[in-house]
Amino acid sequence: MSSVTKAIAFILAVVSFTVVIVQLQYAIFRDVDPKFLLVEEYKDSEDYMYYLNDAMQTVVSIAEGSVEPQDSEFYYYISDGVKTYSNTKNTEKSFYEQYDSTFYWVENGFWSRGKNAKPSLSIYTSLDNKYTVYFAIPDEFMTEMQKKWDKSRTEALQIFLSIMIGAIVGLGIIIYLIIVTGRKSQDKELHLSRMDDIYSDVLLFAMISIFYIWIYTMYEISYQYRYQLRDYGNIFISEIDNNQIYLLIFIGIFSAVAIIFDIIIFLSLVRKIKARKLIKNSIIYKFMHKISSMISEFFKYLIDGSMFKGYPFTKVLFNRQLIFISTSAVLVFFTLVFISMESFIFLLFPMLEIVLIYLYLKGNKETYADINKGFSESLEEQMKAERMKVALITNVSHDLKTPLTSIISYIDLLSKEDLPETSMDFVKILSDKSNRLKNIVSDLFDLAKSSSGDMVLDFENLDLKKLIEQTLADMGDKIEQSELQIKTKLPDQPVNICSDGKKLYRIFQNIIDNALKYSLTGTRVFVEMEDKNGKAIATVKNIAGYEMNFTADEILQRFNRGDKSRTTEGSGLGLSIAESFTKVCGGDLQVDIDGDLFKVTISFPLSYKV
Amino acid sequence: MDIARILVVDDDKEIVKAIEKFLSLAGYEVVKAYDGLEALDALVKNNIQLILLDVMMPKLDGLSTTLKIREKRNIPIIILSAKSEDSDKILGLSMGADDYVTKPFNPQELLARVKSQLRRYMFLGDMGNVARASQTIIGGLFLDTDTKQLTVDGEPVKLTATEYKIIELLMTNAGFVYSAEEIYERVWNEAAYSVENTVMVHIRRIREKIEINPKEPNYLKVVWGIGYKIEKH
Repeated sequence: MSSVTKAIAFILAVVSFTVVIVQLQYAIFRDVDPKFLLVEEYKDSEDYMYYLNDAMQTVVSIAEGSVEPQDSEFYYYISDGVKTYSNTKNTEKSFYEQYDSTFYWVENGFWSRGKNAKPSLSIYTSLDNKYTVYFAIPDEFMTEMQKKWDKSRTEALQIFLSIMIGAIVGLGIIIYLIIVTGRKSQDKELHLSRMDDIYSDVLLFAMISIFYIWIYTMYEISYQYRYQLRDYGNIFISEIDNNQIYLLIFIGIFSAVAIIFDIIIFLSLVRKIKARKLIKNSIIYKFMHKISSMISEFFKYLIDGSMFKGYPFTKVLFNRQLIFISTSAVLVFFTLVFISMESFIFLLFPMLEIVLIYLYLKGNKETYADINKGFSESLEEQMKAERMKVALITNVSHDLKTPLTSIISYIDLLSKEDLPETSMDFVKILSDKSNRLKNIVSDLFDLAKSSSGDMVLDFENLDLKKLIEQTLADMGDKIEQSELQIKTKLPDQPVNICSDGKKLYRIFQNIIDNALKYSLTGTRVFVEMEDKNGKAIATVKNIAGYEMNFTADEILQRFNRGDKSRTTEGSGLGLSIAESFTKVCGGDLQVDIDGDLFKVTISFPLSYKV
Repeated sequence: MDIARILVVDDDKEIVKAIEKFLSLAGYEVVKAYDGLEALDALVKNNIQLILLDVMMPKLDGLSTTLKIREKRNIPIIILSAKSEDSDKILGLSMGADDYVTKPFNPQELLARVKSQLRRYMFLGDMGNVARASQTIIGGLFLDTDTKQLTVDGEPVKLTATEYKIIELLMTNAGFVYSAEEIYERVWNEAAYSVENTVMVHIRRIREKIEINPKEPNYLKVVWGIGYKIEKH
């Protein structure tokens, strides 16, 4: 079952079938007829009967004077009492009578035949009473014809046998191939080739097309050529000429190609049958499947109202739709029934349908009105909740800031008092913490405002590259103090976007601040930007100075800080604000964590060039 | 000159008390009021040189009070508010306030702003409205291109040649936004390439000399992604 065996078997099958076809065509060209196999003796053959008939008709014609007397292989004697025609000198009946298997005579207007002679059609030809006719075929002629017949028989038998053997071998190999195709010696699995993915009906159509083209071509060549070249005179196997040899070569090649393709396709179909996917993997099946699933979906849409449970309005709509469609179907049915009965009652049903449509639309209108009412109510409630949220933010912010103002002011006053040193330390701590609280409240307020969508924005066309440069320059002091290096890679050309510059400054300030705060000492922070696919993409990358045991999502969540223990300044809202502001400003912020690499990517759509 | 008398208005008594305390420590006299109406009343009864005014107050709020005061008087008004949005600041200043300080504020900064407003008030009173072509006044900034002198609230500021050129460019074209390249080309008279940092360093130094809080500049502003400007007041 190795692939080499299979390939050899395949080639053998192709060769066998090609040989069979070429032999068949050869037989046709040489006028090999099955009669040569079936009839042993020339005198039993149809050819002999035709010959005999022809010969006797010739004799009759001579007797009647329509044909001149002539020389021939057969013997004849004709006498009408006055004239005599014969091609032998023997006029005695006994001479003819000796050829008892080929002897025919006419006396008194009636035909008779020798005791071993076969009945010939010509004996039903009536002749005038005056004629006496003797007719016989000499044995020498019959012997010679029998020899030729035997020769043809031998050749025909050879051709027939080779055709038979070729066909049997070919079929045997095909059966072998059917059994082994798709199998491999190493396992019992079925191995499908890529070709088997082609739809079955496509394969079948290709196979039949190739077969049809082949048959058509063979018909054109074999029969037309044969009759053109046929020698009618020769009833035995004819010889083959050069043109026919060329044709045979062509037929051989052409058939081999057709057979190769058809066997390949056929084996693919066999494999598909083995894999039980002949039907499933066909266009017709897919098509029917689609149709049937559409039909089942149709009925599901029509009947299955489970998704409307708990939604009274849409449930009413659904039930009404079900009633409408099924009633309409019934009405259509009755219309057709009465039309087929040729009764004018059928006109009633379209009218009923119009009434039905009217009721349907009327009912729907009411339900739609109810839905609209419910929808606008819930929308209003939502807006109210939104307004309340904004008011809440403003009030809470005010309520936090007012006491904080007092706290900060009095701490400042305290610090001016003449207090003992330990108390001054406490005041210092209070001052730091209250300042931090101030920052947190301020950040919290910004975040709440931006995420509630109640932020006043001032959009203008600006150069993001310049903005990053300005931000870095603005933070120059901080960067110098940080023992970190900032590496920038910015484009030479301005990168214009439409956004709120102040908010963008906050975004980049927060991100760079974050990088400065949490980077490993002595490392570099990379600030890069490029414009790609209509977007300005800025990235800030730094190496964290601690293990980042959190995900990108977690770090963006409010109050989450990478390093919970070490840093006491800042609100922990920096990245959240950056993300929220980016969204509000029409951009997108993404955080990636890869080992110790912390990367923030911000993208904004480029503004159209003016 | 007399000791300046300052009117502090806020509905939160503790805040008023705290402000009174550190203003008097700085040597000012303080008059207190707890709503808008009281403030208007106190203004009539006392000789007030400056008002610190809260916005959210009962009876008459800070903005309405500002409008009322501006009908008759031109004294400096500093608004104190918990509202920190840009739009709130712009609203307050357009009502006639001279400065806007958000709560919670740094007492030292508030004190600096009070001093600045008072000086400007006195100084501009001296100058009157006589401004020559060579003189430009923007808020408390006073630039004389003849003497090449800049004063902030009447106090002369020492500037390097480059800083002066930048200030002159931005003040004489107030409201106009210049990119770093434009500033560099005009001030240094050289072709500009990668100059954002250089210009920004100078801008920061200038801010430290003319602004009360360099982090929240009143005069020299960055227009992010575009350039730098000094706004018309």
